Amino acid sequence: MFSESARMSSAAEARFRVQAPNSMPRATTVIALDVPSEGVVRRLAETRWNHATFLTAPAGDAHGTDPPVGGWLVDLAGHRMPLQDEVNVADHVIMIAAAGGGAQAASTIGRACSLKRVTTTALVVGTASASEEDLSATLAQVRPWALMVVIANNDEYIADMMTALRV
Amino acid sequence: MLRKEQNDLLTQTGPGTAMGQLFRSYWIPALLAEELPENECPPVRVKLLSERLLAFRDSNGRYGLIDEFCAHRGVSLWFGRNEECGLRCPYHGWKYDVSGQCIDVPSEPEESGFSRKIKLTSYPLVERGGVLWTCMGDPDKQPPLPEWEFITVPPPQTFTSKRLQESNWLQAMEGGIDSSHVPFLHRGDLNSDPLFKDNKGNQYTLGDSRPVFEVVESPGGLYIAARRNAEGGHYYWRITQWVMPSFTMIPPRGNHPVHGHFWIPSDDDNCWAWSFDYHPIRELAQAELAAMREGKGIHVRYVPGTYRAFANKDNDYLMDRAAQKAGRTFSGVEGIGMQDASLQESMGPIVDRTKENLVSTDNGIIMARHRLLRAVKALVDKGVPPPGVDPTHQKVRSAAIVLPPDQPFKDGARDALIARPAVAPTSV
Repeated sequence: MFSESARMSSAAEARFRVQAPNSMPRATTVIALDVPSEGVVRRLAETRWNHATFLTAPAGDAHGTDPPVGGWLVDLAGHRMPLQDEVNVADHVIMIAAAGGGAQAASTIGRACSLKRVTTTALVVGTASASEEDLSATLAQVRPWALMVVIANNDEYIADMMTALRV
Repeated sequence: MLRKEQNDLLTQTGPGTAMGQLFRSYWIPALLAEELPENECPPVRVKLLSERLLAFRDSNGRYGLIDEFCAHRGVSLWFGRNEECGLRCPYHGWKYDVSGQCIDVPSEPEESGFSRKIKLTSYPLVERGGVLWTCMGDPDKQPPLPEWEFITVPPPQTFTSKRLQESNWLQAMEGGIDSSHVPFLHRGDLNSDPLFKDNKGNQYTLGDSRPVFEVVESPGGLYIAARRNAEGGHYYWRITQWVMPSFTMIPPRGNHPVHGHFWIPSDDDNCWAWSFDYHPIRELAQAELAAMREGKGIHVRYVPGTYRAFANKDNDYLMDRAAQKAGRTFSGVEGIGMQDASLQESMGPIVDRTKENLVSTDNGIIMARHRLLRAVKALVDKGVPPPGVDPTHQKVRSAAIVLPPDQPFKDGARDALIARPAVAPTSV
């Protein structure tokens, strides 16, 4: 005599699982935080996604202290977009930063996301050729503002991650 | 989410499959040494990577892992007689040595040389640290023997158990790198289990149920770090090691032994969950060993005479709704090992990953899949040995550490993440 647990976890029972969709599309905003990561975002934007917006943070001084974001972002065609508007419609914000690229925008974006309780993920790319100091500096900029930080050795991971998250 | 073809690729490990080829690149745990306790002891059936095999120990103490079935008429050699340096089939007396070579066919004249033309598939079987290891791939590409710290410390410092898990290996392994489930599923055990309780790290874990995570590629796999707030603006980090394809090591707690797992496919619907506990610098206390044998910590209590957990799907895992309601357990299942296994088995033999909805905190799982897929492709297309084969990738430790807020864990815990003889683990 099978128990319920034994019977219900069998391969035969799998065919009775409800096949209807179990989730709604989630809106994801992908933001390049610096000039080097802008190329990564442009390449990602060439792929067809379900519900993704691709933006860049205006370039500041890559190694300086000028705040690069004054409450607005830029789309890939060069149009300014109010940061708060973008955050208001996003379920998830992915920030992409190159190690040593100058990711000061993370704090402004992260603060806006925090106020709206929008989940943030930060991906640090270009780590293979970066110095440890550059990587540490970028981590220090993104870490306070990301629920998840990923340090990937190759850019391919970002597309895989977005697919896995149903972006 | 994975596409169906990706899910199939990662979950199928039988002969001729891509993931099977990857697993066959490594030394994997096959049996506990205790299963073959003496020369000429009874043989043991073992299914690995969807191959039915038989392990035995001959009159001279040599270990063999061979095709389970006699080449004559397909009888299981589990019924065989282990005698005089070989295993003799009880049906017609054909006899095999530990290499699978047939050495006697009684019905044929010895001078005919017939027996020399019969050889069963066999794989090496080597004892290291109380575990019998095999490598089922091309003998010419066999890597160096395994160097995991838990099998290289003196025997009194280490304990290993195994249990059958009735699910595919991947969903079991993914549970091992999913740090975000611990404050929920295992909440009731952190302060009561004798192998987990009484340490500062538990206060941090239970005091901050919204950790943030970092995933970093390591030479052999991944570091998966969970960060929680500690005193004075510092961070408490718990850093899990994953080494390809299926080794996971849980961050330590206080002075408790360090523990971790291997997840080894038996077939595509079942896997062996190997669980180890060791301490790098001290012998395990009798009380600790007793707790492990009683199924505490990550180990389980067995159905007597088997390696199947006593709480299993046939008895609804001894679900205790009163304990769940009272908060003694979060899921109603007792014991950390079976809390994980019960949920992973409930997914079905092979979970349909086309329907899952991963979230940002699942990046450890996403990255592990990404690395596995990349490694499989590199191996199949170009013959590149996968990460984790190199013994230097195996000399790793997990760590629990408090660091200043501006210090990357990879730097602050650099030494802590490497296994060094006679050096204490980094733990809080």
